[in-house]
Amino acid sequence: MPDTLVTAAAPPVDLEPQLLALGRELSERRSPLHAATRGAYDRAMALAASDPQLRAALFRLVDVAPACAGSAELAEHLAAYLEELDEPAPPVALGTRAATSPLARRATGRVAATLVRSMAGRFIVGESVAAAAPVLGRLWQRNTAVTVDLLGEATVTPAEGEAYARRCHEALISLTAASKAWPERPLLERDGIGRLPRVNLSVKVTALTPLTRAEAPDRGRLDAARHLRALLRRAKELNAHLHVDMESMASRELILELVLDLLDEPEFADGPSTGLVLQAYLRDSEELLDRILERTAAAQRAVPLTVRLVKGAYWDHETIEAAQNGWTPPVWTDKAESDRCFERLTRRLLDAHPLVRTAIASHNLRSVAHAVAYARHVGLQPRDFELQVLRGLGDDLQDALAAAGLRGRTYCPVGDMVAGMAYLVRRLLENTSNTSFLASRASGSDLEELLRRP
Amino acid sequence: MTDFRNEPFLELRRAHERDRLIAALDAFDAAPPIEVPVIVGGERRVDPTAASVDPGMPDRVVAAATTATPAEVDAAVEAAGAAARVWGGMPAAERAAILARAAGELRSRRYELAALAVRECAKPWVEADIDVCEAIDFLEYYSRRAVLLDAGPELIQLPGERNTLHYRPRGVSAVIAPWNFPIAIATGMTAAGLATGNAVCLKPAEQSPACAFALVEALERAGVPAGAIALLPGEGDVGAALADHPGVHTIAFTGSGAVGLEILRRAAEPRDGRRHLKRVVAEMGGKNCLIVDADADLDDVVPAVLASAFGFAGQKCSAASRVLVHERVADVLSERLRGSLETLLVGQAETFGTDVPPLIEGASRDRVERVVAEAVQAGAEAERVRRLPDGDGFFSAPTVVFGAPPESFVVREEIFGPVVTVEPVASVDAACDIVDAQAHALTGGLFSRNPRTIAAVARRTPVGNLYVNRGTTGSMVGRQPFGGNRLSGTGTKAGGPDYLLHFVEPVVVTENTVRHGLAP
Repeated sequence: MPDTLVTAAAPPVDLEPQLLALGRELSERRSPLHAATRGAYDRAMALAASDPQLRAALFRLVDVAPACAGSAELAEHLAAYLEELDEPAPPVALGTRAATSPLARRATGRVAATLVRSMAGRFIVGESVAAAAPVLGRLWQRNTAVTVDLLGEATVTPAEGEAYARRCHEALISLTAASKAWPERPLLERDGIGRLPRVNLSVKVTALTPLTRAEAPDRGRLDAARHLRALLRRAKELNAHLHVDMESMASRELILELVLDLLDEPEFADGPSTGLVLQAYLRDSEELLDRILERTAAAQRAVPLTVRLVKGAYWDHETIEAAQNGWTPPVWTDKAESDRCFERLTRRLLDAHPLVRTAIASHNLRSVAHAVAYARHVGLQPRDFELQVLRGLGDDLQDALAAAGLRGRTYCPVGDMVAGMAYLVRRLLENTSNTSFLASRASGSDLEELLRRP
Repeated sequence: MTDFRNEPFLELRRAHERDRLIAALDAFDAAPPIEVPVIVGGERRVDPTAASVDPGMPDRVVAAATTATPAEVDAAVEAAGAAARVWGGMPAAERAAILARAAGELRSRRYELAALAVRECAKPWVEADIDVCEAIDFLEYYSRRAVLLDAGPELIQLPGERNTLHYRPRGVSAVIAPWNFPIAIATGMTAAGLATGNAVCLKPAEQSPACAFALVEALERAGVPAGAIALLPGEGDVGAALADHPGVHTIAFTGSGAVGLEILRRAAEPRDGRRHLKRVVAEMGGKNCLIVDADADLDDVVPAVLASAFGFAGQKCSAASRVLVHERVADVLSERLRGSLETLLVGQAETFGTDVPPLIEGASRDRVERVVAEAVQAGAEAERVRRLPDGDGFFSAPTVVFGAPPESFVVREEIFGPVVTVEPVASVDAACDIVDAQAHALTGGLFSRNPRTIAAVARRTPVGNLYVNRGTTGSMVGRQPFGGNRLSGTGTKAGGPDYLLHFVEPVVVTENTVRHGLAP
């Protein structure tokens, strides 16, 4: 990598010693609790990560599972996917043979269905908010806040948009009820600026409207505005936090303008607490942050906007779409560029305190340690910034954060199997990519390597 | 020469690109209607007698076109015959360089040309831009392929003889172009003829003469010699006179089945003074089926059906016309399709976000309305978009027809409008039987997540282009060579590696190199 980039990306002061110490501390604190349940899953993921074809077969199986009527049909699909492998690994070849007789096929299908269900169970907290509530309560008890994401099928009709909005309202109401029983957790409930809501819901704008058109952001924006406005009112009434997720480029302008416009409306000047997402993998993410900060400063709301900084989950989609249309990819093509951008944005966001609240959402130990080190450097208390992880991917990091006295929040998807598959495939993709933190852990890379400056 | 790459689409998700297009349209609207001449042997005659209008606002005249006379058709073919000898004698690489310059001319005017397609044919922006890109692609792709073709294929060589195969231009190509891809298809057929060294007489659709004129201007500026390209605007009689002309060697036609069959029939008839067989490259209609298996991801199926059936108001020969859906998911898919109809914005092509623009002319609209009314009379249920724009644009409501009798017109015939039928089937095999029973075989679609099913359908489908787990429209030059089988066309693949073979004649030269028993 060119020296100039390293220099440009480096913090103004040398945070490296503190950063390394923090990284080691968090790594040591990673709870052994989850290790027991992780063995088989990790082996499966490591196998998938080592063989791209096998990985594709596995994802296709997960993807099709909810559409299959019964285990025989699932086994038929599994056999067809395995046939496509150039050189089936020995246990896989066995699977192909096993799927040939009807009896064996049903047995294989049941095993596959169990496998898919257990994967889903790892990432998805429950089929409904009611089913998920006890898990959320336990997390809170362990000093970890949560945000709930309602999984759903794609919204292609207005009725589906209405239904999703209704589910969001119901979730806000039932989470509010459930959270009343939660014990006090001072670190999670107040920062230097003010109160932090217990109830935190993440919403997807493309699930609120079927009118997402990349070349016409206004269509979806106008349609989604009525639903989102109603949800903001509900959140305000219940003292809940509403976080609007970012998705692919097709909806980016729509979502950004929608949220910033709504927050300009007088009725939301004094609440609710609201959040946006910034994706560090976008080449123009710094300009987006400029826009967000400018608009936020101008809005002068009583409750600051929360910005969740993520790397971004649609890298493959954006890259493929750009290649097919002849465009420059909107995302960094080199992972290290994303990581450096993530650190630049982290510093800018923390510098902007208290104009915005910052939530650093990453499982990259280096990124997390960097954020904590920089926050300390600029004099922020642990309660003044948040660290977020995903359910199923960041469980041990989440416990390490809590143990280190840091304010953590876990992103908890809720929904049934059919609805959850697209999410699940994205997570598995992330979990088995060669460059992922977890893959490096599985392959035994040492800690210093993980903490190395990108 | 660099490798071929598709021309990048405009990134219309970025506001500044949209702003540039709006500015181009404003400039276009501020100018007077385009005067389209007859161009014969490099000479222009302007005497407008026909107009093309904006289908969204028929009072707005887009272009005033001069109609070619029978004498001009004769003169154009004669001049083309003479020019073909010069143009055809030029090295293929030189012709390719000129065509690449023409591509550059189109590229430098791409915003303006997209605006023209928006106005003259009511192509919504995204598709108007794609039309310009495809035109550029055809020029770039065929010029490269022509250079490769010029080298000739390898033949078996034995001692004492030298065998060579060369492809020669056939002479004069008549290009009879449609309005639905007003720049792209006219350019594709013309570029194929020119790249291989033929002279081309282009008869554009009467609905889109200005788009064709833009192409001819680009070719002229790039250096295609006078006479090697003629522009003959007019109605069907001009096309018929051109196709019938004894001096024409190849006819490249894209349009309706009735006209295509008539061209094929007349081309086969011997005429006075003709010393060649006419070759016809015909791309005609389709009745395209999209098969949805029980394991399909309906989240993907619904948007694909909407785009394939209603994009450009269904006025594509590749448009999906029948959805054959596995009975296990038929109810769910039908329900979601019904609901999703409301999401379609029927509107002016110039409005970003318009999903369904007006039809090309009033007669088309009336025909579609008749088909829907007849389907309802025959007992079918028609779910239609309720909100249509005001004004006298040729709008027709996007329609999903359920329960149409198998023998009804809406199920059997190409409609070329925003209408799609949904028919439950017992299995994918049953759907394939239906496809197999059709006379048309242009495009087909399949949504399935089972590789075995995909392989089985690919093996047995008669269609020219099968699209799996995506919509049935939007073929790309060099990536999805396009063309139909059976009554859909002559089996030729536009934008494919073998398309140019239809514009050339192979000549094999065999030389005995033995002298007194001695071979070099």
